Amino acid sequence: MLTPYAPGASDTPKGAAGVGKDPKCRRPSTADEPSYALAPMRTPPATLAAPGAAGPDDRLDWPGAGLSPRSRRVAWAVAEALLCDEDDRGDLVPASPETCDRAVAALDLSIGRSSADVRRGFAALSLVMELLPIFVIGAFARMSRLPLDRRLAYLEALEGSRIGLLSMLLIAFKVPLCIPAFEEGEDLLSTGFDRATTASRRRLPVAPAREAA
Amino acid sequence: MSGAIASGDPIVHGRDLPAGFDEACDVVVVGSGAGGAVVATLLAEAGRRVVVLEEGPYYRAADYQRFKPSEAVRRIFREAGMVTAFGVGQTPIISITMGRAVGGSSVITGGVCFRIPGEVHGRWVRDLGLSELSERDLEAAYESVEERLNVREVPERMRSESTNRFVEGARRLGIEMRAIRRNTGDACEGNARCNFTCPAGAKRSVDVAYLPSAVERGARVVSDALVDRIVVQRGRAAGVEGRLLGGERGAPSHRFRVRAPVVVAACGTLHTPLLLGATGVGAGSGVLGNHVTLHPAARVVARFDDAVNGWDGALQSVYSDHFAAEGIKLVGVYSAVNVLAAGLPGVGPALRRRVRSLPQCAVFGAMIHDDGGGRVRPGLGREPVLWYEMAPRDLARLRRAVTRLSEVAIAAGAREVYAPVFGLPPIRTVDDALAMERTRIDARRIECMAFHPLGSARVANDRRRGIVDQSGECFELPGLFVADGSILPTSIGVNSQVPIMAMATRIAWRMAERFPRLAARAA
Repeated sequence: MLTPYAPGASDTPKGAAGVGKDPKCRRPSTADEPSYALAPMRTPPATLAAPGAAGPDDRLDWPGAGLSPRSRRVAWAVAEALLCDEDDRGDLVPASPETCDRAVAALDLSIGRSSADVRRGFAALSLVMELLPIFVIGAFARMSRLPLDRRLAYLEALEGSRIGLLSMLLIAFKVPLCIPAFEEGEDLLSTGFDRATTASRRRLPVAPAREAA
Repeated sequence: MSGAIASGDPIVHGRDLPAGFDEACDVVVVGSGAGGAVVATLLAEAGRRVVVLEEGPYYRAADYQRFKPSEAVRRIFREAGMVTAFGVGQTPIISITMGRAVGGSSVITGGVCFRIPGEVHGRWVRDLGLSELSERDLEAAYESVEERLNVREVPERMRSESTNRFVEGARRLGIEMRAIRRNTGDACEGNARCNFTCPAGAKRSVDVAYLPSAVERGARVVSDALVDRIVVQRGRAAGVEGRLLGGERGAPSHRFRVRAPVVVAACGTLHTPLLLGATGVGAGSGVLGNHVTLHPAARVVARFDDAVNGWDGALQSVYSDHFAAEGIKLVGVYSAVNVLAAGLPGVGPALRRRVRSLPQCAVFGAMIHDDGGGRVRPGLGREPVLWYEMAPRDLARLRRAVTRLSEVAIAAGAREVYAPVFGLPPIRTVDDALAMERTRIDARRIECMAFHPLGSARVANDRRRGIVDQSGECFELPGLFVADGSILPTSIGVNSQVPIMAMATRIAWRMAERFPRLAARAA
């Protein structure tokens, strides 16, 4: 059962989407722990399988790779921060590995099915995303090596930037990662959607006569 | 490259063919979307031997109806949904939605059916001298298309609660809303995700409404077939050549050729100029690839205190032309929840909180009748590059549209409104909305999308002003016809599927009448 949304309130129950036993992180604004105590990004798997893995229907126009290992690492780090949540104490909780895997696997397949232009473009965007923290939040580290709270601060700064191109850089990752992320499991449930899957048909009211029959 | 298509299937998976082919027919149609499928079907019904070549894959309707949105995006959206118009100057970066499969973009439209407004037809006749493209001249074509598509007005009972809030807010502001007409007949269940295929199979996309009739009459449809040039013989179009995509890893792609006295390019506004340009057609006109219009669109998400559950109901069911004088059309919209979640502002916990509030959210949209500042050019690879310079007037219209939508949302009782401007706080009052409109911001911070690219190979009365004549035939290459959105000479201000299909219908009817002469000239 969903509770009504209250701005600023933390209404994620324990055990809900994205909340697990992973290392907890605290936002800088409310922190009472130093940021060096924060856990680095978990290492993404070298290959992503399971949900939505490429089958015969996913054969590429010109068979080739989707994301490069570096782009995959960057996308995974973005997903982990983009989809993180906070628990009832206000501590940051990274997105679950399953959610990140699903999001990055889908992005990988999408990039693989696109033209070489898109593949090259996304590789360039990944590089920019990785290297910009020093200019955006003054952090002397690559994005994927930042602790979760700093990565989140970086993504927030990109979204809120007065320079539109920086906002678009975030959107280039956010949309293709969020669509598959919120498509299944606990993440789909968190949207309040009342069907089994996003491909399910609407639950139509049944006419009384038919019901009786 | 020799021999016939090595498959007995009427719709052939090109990627599974063991070899290339060299076929002959009466008409070869490049592209199977709203334009190509119509021309192919009508000519097949007129007794012509037709081959349709589609670059994208083929999925049976029963299969794609089961796709989740991310699968639909990956498999049947061009560039997996990542087509973008690059903004020049103060122009948003615009995300463009296009299909790439048998059925083209018709598979992923919202199914909205408008005719071209009478004043646009009037302008074509009066200002551009296109005397054969009046409203009356297209009347029969519109009727034919609407009958095949089962076009019906969306009944009030199919409106979602999201739309009801939109209508109520508009009513309180004195804005009249009208019912939209869609191509779902009476079969729409209100699954609110038409853009990612219809799980109920209600939407009459052209792969459902047209191509089966073509196939019944002997037309062949080959998917995964990328045409890279038009064959020219004795100064006339004589066929096409290309290669099959999606072969086995490491295997060379098979080439194919289809010989025909009539070639129809229906690859869409972004790709038809590439095909024509690769053949040398239109290069000297200065028109090919220019003047592209997009109908830039924006939407706001309005959060209410109570449950809206906007996913129960038709994706789009109402519109308003109340602000037509300002070039703004308001439309009620919704989408798949995970896609809406991806478009909500915020990252991390802020995004999660907003996602949890989705049941309380309604979505309102608007579309701009733009001047057209787009240019299509060949890119580094197979895909074109689209540059778009938004006229200052259109940018002002876009921002005004966001204000209007916010006003409607607040009038409907929304607690806060998420405007499509990155980094700005939610709007809570009309004053907030007006202040946001006045704020100087980088236009690239505006989230903008477009669904109707038009006009890159426009129709005209002479080759200095356009690429094709009023019957769709290229000025510079007899025997080559264009029948897609690229021929529309101006922005039309409404969803483009039915207009494209009506234009294609008219072109096909003309072509059927003239075919003996066209074939004789080629011989």
